[in-house]
Amino acid sequence: MKLLQVQNLNKEYYKGDKSVIGVLSDINFSVKKGECFVIIGPNGSGKTTLLKIIGLLELPTSGQIFYDKKDLIKISRKKKVEYRRKFSFVKQKPVVRNTTVFNNIAYGLKVRGIKFDDYQKSVDEIIKFIGLKGMEKQNARSLSGGEMQRVAIAMNFIINPEIYLLDEVSANLDSMNLKLLDEFIMKIKQDKEKTIIISTHDPLEAIKYADRIAVLNNGQIAQIGTPNEIFTAPKDEFTALFVGYENILYGIAELDKATGLSKIKVNDLIITASSQQEGDVKVCIRPESIGIVKGPPKNTSYRNTFKGIVENIRELGNICHLIVKCKSEKFLITITELSRKNLGLEIGSQVFINFKATDITILSS
Amino acid sequence: MANEIIEGILEAIRLIFTFDPEVWGIIEVSFRVSLTSTFLAALVALPIGSFIGLRKFKGKRGVTNLINTFMGFPPVVMGLIVYLLLSRNGPFGTLGLLYSTTAMIVAQFLLAVPIITGTAKAAIESVDPALKETVLSLGANERQLWWELIKHSKKSIIAGFLVAFGQAISEVGAVMIVGGNIRWETRTFTTSIVLQTRMGEFGMAIALGVILITIAFIVNYGLTRLQTGAD
Repeated sequence: MKLLQVQNLNKEYYKGDKSVIGVLSDINFSVKKGECFVIIGPNGSGKTTLLKIIGLLELPTSGQIFYDKKDLIKISRKKKVEYRRKFSFVKQKPVVRNTTVFNNIAYGLKVRGIKFDDYQKSVDEIIKFIGLKGMEKQNARSLSGGEMQRVAIAMNFIINPEIYLLDEVSANLDSMNLKLLDEFIMKIKQDKEKTIIISTHDPLEAIKYADRIAVLNNGQIAQIGTPNEIFTAPKDEFTALFVGYENILYGIAELDKATGLSKIKVNDLIITASSQQEGDVKVCIRPESIGIVKGPPKNTSYRNTFKGIVENIRELGNICHLIVKCKSEKFLITITELSRKNLGLEIGSQVFINFKATDITILSS
Repeated sequence: MANEIIEGILEAIRLIFTFDPEVWGIIEVSFRVSLTSTFLAALVALPIGSFIGLRKFKGKRGVTNLINTFMGFPPVVMGLIVYLLLSRNGPFGTLGLLYSTTAMIVAQFLLAVPIITGTAKAAIESVDPALKETVLSLGANERQLWWELIKHSKKSIIAGFLVAFGQAISEVGAVMIVGGNIRWETRTFTTSIVLQTRMGEFGMAIALGVILITIAFIVNYGLTRLQTGAD
């Protein structure tokens, strides 16, 4: 079910001399309930503006945003507050009010008319969770940068909204706060009633959280798709260069106690990985880590060898991309143009691909 | 002349330290008029100024220009306007308010409203937009946002109030015209100094001048404290 639909959204700013700067142009996408939608793009591509418009903090120049089929741009000021309360917006740089840690975290609940007695317990709990117990009465502005970030995270997550908007939140976090944020996001992801929209410039973060990814370049959406589609089949050069290349497969991991390796079942393939994981996982293999040969490889130390057919070839100057289909799965492989010629690979060639168990990154999903 | 000045200073010291009833009467009238007018002006100007600062609307630039113009409105002209309004043949002549402290409060009120409106508007607008966004995104409605912004700009708002008060208490033209400088009734620091100087009664003039400067000093000290960030 489409929860949020963005249609023909444009945003322009007028400079002092009346010239126009386009920030977003013709943005179209929809987000389903329970989905984690990641907007990826470099700095200055318009991610923050897009998130602010969705969060009703800024007006677009034209276009619509539908929430449950209701156009949020046209509604009254009062209605806007009501809909804004369905969102939380975690900013890249934390901003706290000039008051205590407790009051900062409780603020979102207080403005919703919740009584002190009803929120006191949950605020205390979240303060304990973020490790700031004993600092409730301190002014949040006197905290260290890292502590302030934790307050900002807590005050946005405690309001339990329908949609979480996270704007480049991991960009300035130290490793401890990154872990904390990860715990929060993973918890929300499990709740199928909650929707997340993340903006980031980090492809790995996108792979980690995204059900779907939109690539934003210079105010325009270059491509929308699953992480797998984006990384293996980028539609244009920008997307390809920006996200890098990655093979992402979805599977179920089982730990082999005897060898200490994980066996991951990806449809009809079994992939062996050296990192130890169990349950639903994403398997990431960089295309340059995959070797390709024409005949069955002998005496190889590679744990993973699959027979496949070259489905597509993209020539990119000195190197080329091969799409090789092995049973149900497609792999993206980069080799030099020279070795492709030496191997005599054409579309339809039968090949064997192989990669090491140690070259596989596993992300739990 | 030198003699007159020394005599004047001695007389001033005597007047201040013997708590001369006329001096105290003048202090009382000055403070009552200036504080009342500034306070009433704040009641009107704070909501208007902060509302203009909070909202974006068509014609905001025009309104801003208007406020800025009125912030520098010549007090004597304001005195004249209020005089015409309150004089016997004026539209409010039947109220019989001319030459009363009420008339003075009205004139100073009209002078203070644009000052407090302008400073409140500027104060609200100078709050970090990121804070505004955060407060909104946490679910605040307009009234709750307004209150947050007031809290975060309270220093500048108090500064605006002090500026308006400082102007009111040292203003002479308007209160002279509408108050009439009636002894024991509508005589203030400034109108009294004008009169006493004319009559060569330097003692009273110097005494009142010293008190007025002291008040100005206290107000400015308060302003500096606010601006240097002491809470």
